[in-house]
Amino acid sequence: MPNAILDPTGTVTNSAAKPAAPRAPRLASLDGKRVGLLINTKQNARPFLDEVGRLLEDRYGVTVTKRTKLNFAVPEPENVIKELVAENDVIITGVGDCGSCSAAATADGVVLEAAGVPVAAIITDSFIPTADAMAALRGAPGYKYATTAHPVAVLTEDKVKERAAQVLDDLVALLVEPATAPNTKDEA
Amino acid sequence: MTAVNTEGAAATAAAPDPDEAQRAIEYCYEQGWSDGLPLVPVSKPLLDAFLATTGKDPDEIIGALEQVGRDVNVRTAAINAAMAGCKPEYFPVVLAAFEALMRERAARGGGFQSTSGPSPLIVVNGPVRKELGFNTAGGAFGPGFRPNATIPRAVGLIVRNAFGIHPHVLEQATQGLPGRWQVCIAENEEESPWEPFAENGGVTGGVSAVSATLTRTMEFVDNRHTPNHEDVLRDIEDTVNRMGSLIFPQTSVALVLCPEHAQMFAAAGLSKADVQNWMINKCGHTGREFKLAGKENVPRKPDGTFATDEEFHRILSAPQQVPVIVAGAKNAAISMVVRIFGEWSGSSVPVGEKK
Repeated sequence: MPNAILDPTGTVTNSAAKPAAPRAPRLASLDGKRVGLLINTKQNARPFLDEVGRLLEDRYGVTVTKRTKLNFAVPEPENVIKELVAENDVIITGVGDCGSCSAAATADGVVLEAAGVPVAAIITDSFIPTADAMAALRGAPGYKYATTAHPVAVLTEDKVKERAAQVLDDLVALLVEPATAPNTKDEA
Repeated sequence: MTAVNTEGAAATAAAPDPDEAQRAIEYCYEQGWSDGLPLVPVSKPLLDAFLATTGKDPDEIIGALEQVGRDVNVRTAAINAAMAGCKPEYFPVVLAAFEALMRERAARGGGFQSTSGPSPLIVVNGPVRKELGFNTAGGAFGPGFRPNATIPRAVGLIVRNAFGIHPHVLEQATQGLPGRWQVCIAENEEESPWEPFAENGGVTGGVSAVSATLTRTMEFVDNRHTPNHEDVLRDIEDTVNRMGSLIFPQTSVALVLCPEHAQMFAAAGLSKADVQNWMINKCGHTGREFKLAGKENVPRKPDGTFATDEEFHRILSAPQQVPVIVAGAKNAAISMVVRIFGEWSGSSVPVGEKK
């Protein structure tokens, strides 16, 4: 009997296999709800989410609170997640426009959903594979988020507002029933 | 004694079976374990030889990437080091290099997932350089020498296999850089006029130690005709100053000086600190220069405002942002400016011994 070739991934011994993360129940509507904007500090993320918040205030009379991510590259720590869950009915986060921050946006989304709050994460379309991979790692394969065309960082103020308006229906659809899939990609 | 038969094949009693070896190599490719180059297939006896070189428990966790829910223990690191082509006796250096790298904030954060695609710069000091046969002379950035080539590859394979960071998936490098997972310098202590680099990282007494940081690329400074050391410093300063690499208010650069430049500076009475202070004092741009490159938001001052058109904004402020290493042959005056991703942790890790 020859020796076996050993596996270098260590997946047998570590905690990679996560249980399925539950998705939060959707809201019936956004009317009068508390919307938390989790801004990831990437260039144009703030004006983008500011405009999303302004449009939601106009359209649904929501109350908007804003928070800046501590580190765009990694998911928020547990205490921040708890505060976000306590203070908001829904959360919108973005803009995931890089390798680590797009993955971190979906990771935040999955964790917040499991804690009971619907989330709409915004990712630029260059980072769909990494966002999907992170969601699967976090126990939420097929996790739904909204996309906007890459790049966002180079857009002028007016163009950022246009983008925010364009993605707004997708964000709302992610947060209220019936949940439709705004991703351009297939669910498979 | 090897006999060569009429078909040109080497035939000895103990010659391994090449067809079996090729099947094992292809098996490793098929599992998705490879960085693109062939791997050494690892068996239990080889793993045991690696584990015998360290006093660490095989189950000890030596690093984790919380954001992807993955960690790595000594055993898994050993399998990857063996696959990379390391000899068992290199393993304590791999462990020290990995520990040094995981002290970097950028490595624990999203560095390995980053569009910047950074690569480790590993620096080895002390007697282990000679004991394990590191190249300490010409061709410091490689290739050609087994420990220098396989130890950084081991780190790359750990990131790929144990952390699960694969290109085009969780690894999103836009272009990456030449030499990724390939750079491990053994400092030329014998021809350096200064203290070993590990001492700058807090490991004194000449013991073997490893330092590591993440880098984005490097550029040479070829300056071999002037007798004036200040000319050379100005030339290096010009390369450090490249606008293209500047994305934050502060930057970091390692100066990998060839022995000739280092000795020229030392002969003029300069210490490492003097070289560092030259760069700290001279490197930077005016607000206007940043603006002309569309980077007016880069020179942010501590009070949150930005450098005005006329204001000179320094891009370096502390010696730790300018680590100075001596490497290469004393055969030409060519040094390297290495762009650091984030900031060097400032701490070196002693190479552990078997308990």
